[in-house]
Amino acid sequence: MKFITKVSPNNRDKDHSTSGIMAELAVGLMVVFVFSMVFYFQEYGMEYVIHGVGLMATSIITALVTEVVFALATKRKVGYHIKYSYPLVTAIILTLTVPISTSFFALGVASFFAIFFGKLIFGGFGHNIFNPAGVGRMVIFSSLVGSTVADVTTGATPVSSMANAGWLIKDAAVTEKFLEQFGGLSNLLLGWYPGAMGETSALLIILVGIYLAYRKVLDWKVPVVYVGSVFIFTMIIALTNGVGLWYPMFHILSGGLMFGAVFMATDPVTNPTTISGRVIYAIGLAVLTVIIRLQSSLPDGVVYAILLMNMVSPLIDKLTDGWSIYSVKKYTVSIAVTFVVGLVLTFLAGNGLEPKAIEFPSEDGGLPVFSESTDNLPEVVEQTEDGAVVTFVMSAPGYYALEGGDNNTIEVKINKDTNTVESVAVLEANDTPGLGDRITDQGFLDQFTGITYDDQSASVDAVSGATVSSTSVAKAVRIAFEELNK
Amino acid sequence: MSILIGPMKLHLDGHKELTNHGEVKNIVAGKKVFIPLMACTDILVNAGDYVKAGTMIAKRNDHFTVPIFSSVSGKVLGIEELEHSTGRVIDHLVVENDGKYDFEKPFEPMDAETASVEELVNFMMNAGIVGCGGAGFPSYVKYRGAKGIHTLLINAVECEPYITADYRIIDNQVEDLLYGTKTMLKMSGAKEALIAIKKTKKDLIDKVREALKGQDQMKVTEVPDQYPMGWERTLIYEVFKKRYDKLPGEIGVIVNNATTAIAFSEALKYGRPIMEKICTISGDGLKSPSNVRVPVGVSVKDIVEQIGGYAGEEVRVIGGGPMMGRTQTTDDVVITTSSNAITVLKPDPVDTIACLRCGRCNDNCPAGILPVRINNAEEAGDVKLLAKLRADQCIECGMCTYVCPSKIEVTEGVRRGKALLRAAAQK
Repeated sequence: MKFITKVSPNNRDKDHSTSGIMAELAVGLMVVFVFSMVFYFQEYGMEYVIHGVGLMATSIITALVTEVVFALATKRKVGYHIKYSYPLVTAIILTLTVPISTSFFALGVASFFAIFFGKLIFGGFGHNIFNPAGVGRMVIFSSLVGSTVADVTTGATPVSSMANAGWLIKDAAVTEKFLEQFGGLSNLLLGWYPGAMGETSALLIILVGIYLAYRKVLDWKVPVVYVGSVFIFTMIIALTNGVGLWYPMFHILSGGLMFGAVFMATDPVTNPTTISGRVIYAIGLAVLTVIIRLQSSLPDGVVYAILLMNMVSPLIDKLTDGWSIYSVKKYTVSIAVTFVVGLVLTFLAGNGLEPKAIEFPSEDGGLPVFSESTDNLPEVVEQTEDGAVVTFVMSAPGYYALEGGDNNTIEVKINKDTNTVESVAVLEANDTPGLGDRITDQGFLDQFTGITYDDQSASVDAVSGATVSSTSVAKAVRIAFEELNK
Repeated sequence: MSILIGPMKLHLDGHKELTNHGEVKNIVAGKKVFIPLMACTDILVNAGDYVKAGTMIAKRNDHFTVPIFSSVSGKVLGIEELEHSTGRVIDHLVVENDGKYDFEKPFEPMDAETASVEELVNFMMNAGIVGCGGAGFPSYVKYRGAKGIHTLLINAVECEPYITADYRIIDNQVEDLLYGTKTMLKMSGAKEALIAIKKTKKDLIDKVREALKGQDQMKVTEVPDQYPMGWERTLIYEVFKKRYDKLPGEIGVIVNNATTAIAFSEALKYGRPIMEKICTISGDGLKSPSNVRVPVGVSVKDIVEQIGGYAGEEVRVIGGGPMMGRTQTTDDVVITTSSNAITVLKPDPVDTIACLRCGRCNDNCPAGILPVRINNAEEAGDVKLLAKLRADQCIECGMCTYVCPSKIEVTEGVRRGKALLRAAAQK
């Protein structure tokens, strides 16, 4: 007989393992992905689905290759390393946070950054400070926003449209029209609209989240406190601005909030380890999300809020250290203080909000060229003729200019015999880097070629995430036509 | 138990069906029995002396008084060092078993109705009644000078997986349970006695309730099937929603194990000390898991042989249940007066991976401390932080290791932290 000795206890929970948690999480995420693919198939067609699946494959393969190379380079057993490094979940989450128009190149780079700089460099799974998928997403936000595929474009997303509207709409009629473009609040819940691939259907994310919470894959308190706090904070802003209940609802149903709350904020590795710590963490996420949405030039604050709070996690752990049964008072006070500070900060952030003019897309979802808007009109700087072609150089205020920056300079060439646009070019792009300056995309500009003055219903697709700047180009074309046909 | 702390307890798979309903098998002592002698014990017999079953052979004489009795009749052979179920190597008194089991009463029975409280407490001390829940704490200490006690809580929870010994003993000896409890109630001066039984043991609850009819001062209280419901602090919080600093007496409660009450009853009625134990010997490492009636001092090896042997070539022999019991290096370990189980399991190797900081250990810790933080502090050697995190409060119940999805030996980390803290305090 051989008597094996080991330290007590000699009993393990057989139903829960880290591998099991990660596997269930991956399945939950794939459900969200499948919904997204069904949406793109129904509304846009098969080529969108192929691109979406290609993106998922790119992200996963890049992640795996990164892990394998790392394992080989550091002389680890490749199979064992991959099994317990869980690159799949990171790769899937990353894919779901990007719009379908993202290029393979951009997502591949992001996936590499997520795995290598987001996780492996810190010592691998369990040691990373930042949510790896969040790191990857940030790489795209900050340096690869322009790397998109022209054939796969969609209309504006609710969050970017709202950002363009200054995160506040007071006029009831405008509100209704604004929400109607996305099928109203109920469709924001259902998620049948374009956006980041996995972020649209709040309802589906909630359902998957409930199941995963029931399976103890994630702690329900984090998403509930996070989303609940965003609701309360934005409710206060709505009340002080005389805006209805739709406003907090819009906040919690649009953008990456629900997805981030369920799938990214709950990442245990980057969370505090105590319940009270996680509650404080979730409130912090809500505060940062609201402030970033209202007061920064970024369209959505969720990923940045998560990365910023990741840095605070160790401090929160320190705060909640002690003998928990005799620390309830400390915990309660800490949570209350965090919430009140959050309330004040978000109130201040919401206090200075001013609604901005909104340009609505035409019936077919595009941007009308011959609108009647009289706001922010471009001016003709120079007009020259070369045979039948008249060249207008216009100074047009893009999104950045509305924020106090310089105008963009746009060149519009029109054939005066046929009254048709020959070409549109951006001579000087002074717009928001990564967003407004994407109006220089040839795919976007080429849409204007061939538009005639006779077709007053002509429209173009706006650059997603840059509606205001796209509108300014359309206005430049319209003003040039009006100048020519005076 | 606030929502900000976590549940502090958890339902575990009990595996109780393995031994729940089978016969209690009688184990015959071998040629030699080995009576464990804890530290600070005066030995009252010499090698070559003839002792009877029931003869007092030693007496613990430090701050507690606990007499130790022989479980068989025969010749004293001497002292031998052996591994004890606590893992320590201690002296055992070896008695050569003559197989006659000649019994002599080491003390006279006592009528609990007429005896005074002081007489009863002294009787309990002289009868060597120790807590049968596993720790072996001398019971009389709880009653000596007990003041302001309002409730006697009889612990019949048995929360460790696999163990069904208490269940079988209570089932067989309900009358003794009531007699013992009633006497302890008198000694404590409390108004009522509550017998805590798991909700899931419906048949036992019915049986005890039936026997309690007409006894207003004794009641059954049902508690959830969760671990570690049998731990004093968890049980008291469950029943009274109160916490205490060191001893339950602070909030007017005395807790005793149900089998202790039964042993006390036997001592009162027949003048019999604890000489044999009913133990559960169970687990997937055995061919036929059973409850056994076994004399104190009989080795695990003898028991396993008599119930059919091991189920594999490599096993873990655990003194106690799988959560708190220690794995033994040998099956020469013997049954003591406070033993209630031996668990034998096949090896179950796991891949330990990095902590994913999920906080499950924190949420479920029955002591309300933060095991993952203590593990981190221990790795960093931060004694000050260990003190702040109250590593000293760990009872090594094993919950943190049990729940860890990354299969880390969290409890061992806390144990090391506790040792580090103790070492620093002694400097």
